[in-house]
Amino acid sequence: MTDKRDAILSVKNVTKTFEGIRALEDVSFDVKSGHIKALIGPNGAGKTTLLNAINGIMSPDSGHIHFLGHDVVGHSADRVAGLGLSRTFQLIRMFTINNATVLDNVLLGAHMQLKPTLFESIFSRGKVNKAERKACDRAMELLRFVGLEKAADAAPGSLPFGNQRLVELARSLMTNPKMLLLDEPASGLNDTEVESFTELLRSIREKGITILLVEHNMKLVMNIADDIVVLDFGKKLAEGTPQAICANPQVIEAYLGTTQTECRLEP
Amino acid sequence: MKLLKQFWWILPLAFIAFYPVTLAGGSPYWSGLLIFVGIYVILTVGLDLLMGYTGQISVGHAAYFAIGAYASGILTAKYGFSPLGAMVIGMVLTGIVAWALGRPVLALKEYYLAMATLAFNEIVVTLIIGLEWLTGGASGLRDIPSFSIFGLVLSNHVHYYYFVWAIVIIVIACSLAVVRSPFGRTLVAIHSDEVAARAFGVDTAKYKTRIFVLASVFASMAGSLFTHYMGFLAPDDFGVLTSINILVMLFLGGIGTIFGPILGAFFMKLLPELTYQIHDYELLLSGLILIIVLVFMPKGLFGIFTAIWEKMFAKADK
Repeated sequence: MTDKRDAILSVKNVTKTFEGIRALEDVSFDVKSGHIKALIGPNGAGKTTLLNAINGIMSPDSGHIHFLGHDVVGHSADRVAGLGLSRTFQLIRMFTINNATVLDNVLLGAHMQLKPTLFESIFSRGKVNKAERKACDRAMELLRFVGLEKAADAAPGSLPFGNQRLVELARSLMTNPKMLLLDEPASGLNDTEVESFTELLRSIREKGITILLVEHNMKLVMNIADDIVVLDFGKKLAEGTPQAICANPQVIEAYLGTTQTECRLEP
Repeated sequence: MKLLKQFWWILPLAFIAFYPVTLAGGSPYWSGLLIFVGIYVILTVGLDLLMGYTGQISVGHAAYFAIGAYASGILTAKYGFSPLGAMVIGMVLTGIVAWALGRPVLALKEYYLAMATLAFNEIVVTLIIGLEWLTGGASGLRDIPSFSIFGLVLSNHVHYYYFVWAIVIIVIACSLAVVRSPFGRTLVAIHSDEVAARAFGVDTAKYKTRIFVLASVFASMAGSLFTHYMGFLAPDDFGVLTSINILVMLFLGGIGTIFGPILGAFFMKLLPELTYQIHDYELLLSGLILIIVLVFMPKGLFGIFTAIWEKMFAKADK
């Protein structure tokens, strides 16, 4: 009965133009609660633009985006985050000023739970420290979950890119999200790392967190995605199960290529 | 060595506590010098919260220094308020001005923010000169009483010195509490990457405004302390040059460190005393030292201190 599950995210007729170039044209699709949906397509197809529209970093020119029943078009990114939507970035965005560590980065994910105020920071240290200790425990737990507890005190920039992406994932999980937008999280990972990352995504899904995954690694996508939507030149080219997408001649021509070596399901 | 590592802060505290009675030997001039240092520490620490931690440039910090100073000066000299009451009113007034200004102005970035803060500094100075009936205009505001708390008059320089430094220590303690808390982490996130901070639920405009208000209230306090020490106010003390001086102290001491501004303020205020002998070349020499520090020591004086400190303990630990 999974097909009857409600859509947690619903994108309707979204269009965005940058100086005359159609980055997104009338894109519509749903993401079902508890699913991993992959968003694939060639470079420049509009995938990151779509993620930016969903989490409120930019507003689309027209169309609607419903997240948990709220129309989030026009909401600022911090309000969308408050509804339980978190994300990682294709170009890694770590907080690095003032020697911020990996742990500091993950702890920022607790911002919405801690809601720090000046008054409490100065006059209510006991309460602040207690909440901070709890957040610290949780952050270390998440770093352990992504396999980076030993890097907690490292500068984020000193880690390999693949690991920085895992720190971003831990930081997003720290917000206790209902849904995650992951923008090419596996780029920079080698084959073994991709395998353990696939397991990681599975266990995140098991926790009931919905994922919209932008990814070029087709092996990962085919292994994990419940369904796939394909963008090409800002338009939706196809949508369906991994098997259907693999067999779709239009998708093969536009993106997958004719060799299809990566595009098969693991037994 | 271990004791030193843990209790190092006793040394500067002891210096501050015994300075007027030992080194300064009760001399009003030398005590007065450190009163100025203390006032500038308050200003610079506030600016460090705004610039060093939150990454919001301000080239007009003297504007809030001015509002505090004139609020205290006018209310005590003309309307007979108690200095403490006037100081609190000044802080509230400055806080309201900073809050009203913060939202629109802090939406600007970099050069535009610098220009807007600079312009506000100029506006405040122009108002001080223009509102002659209230502020005394260019000829200044006279007959400002010494500071007094609950009838105890602090006209003695040594007494006032202790009062000012008690406030300095409170300001530093508050600032450390802010930056070493989740609030400080949020400020650093805004400084690093505003878009990413927003994606994690940070209402960046709100947090920038809050820290701007705190920095301005600190500056207002410094203004009130300055007023009662001088007994006389003139608009020259609050121009853009003063704002730039505060900026220089911040960068010289080490931005984003809280302790750096203390060193910066000491250095900038004491340098003229050291170069006093070669009077004619004073400005040249202090300018030269400044350039050397800024070019060769990007982390400022505090960076040098921590480097020496770490070397010292690296050896001790072996």
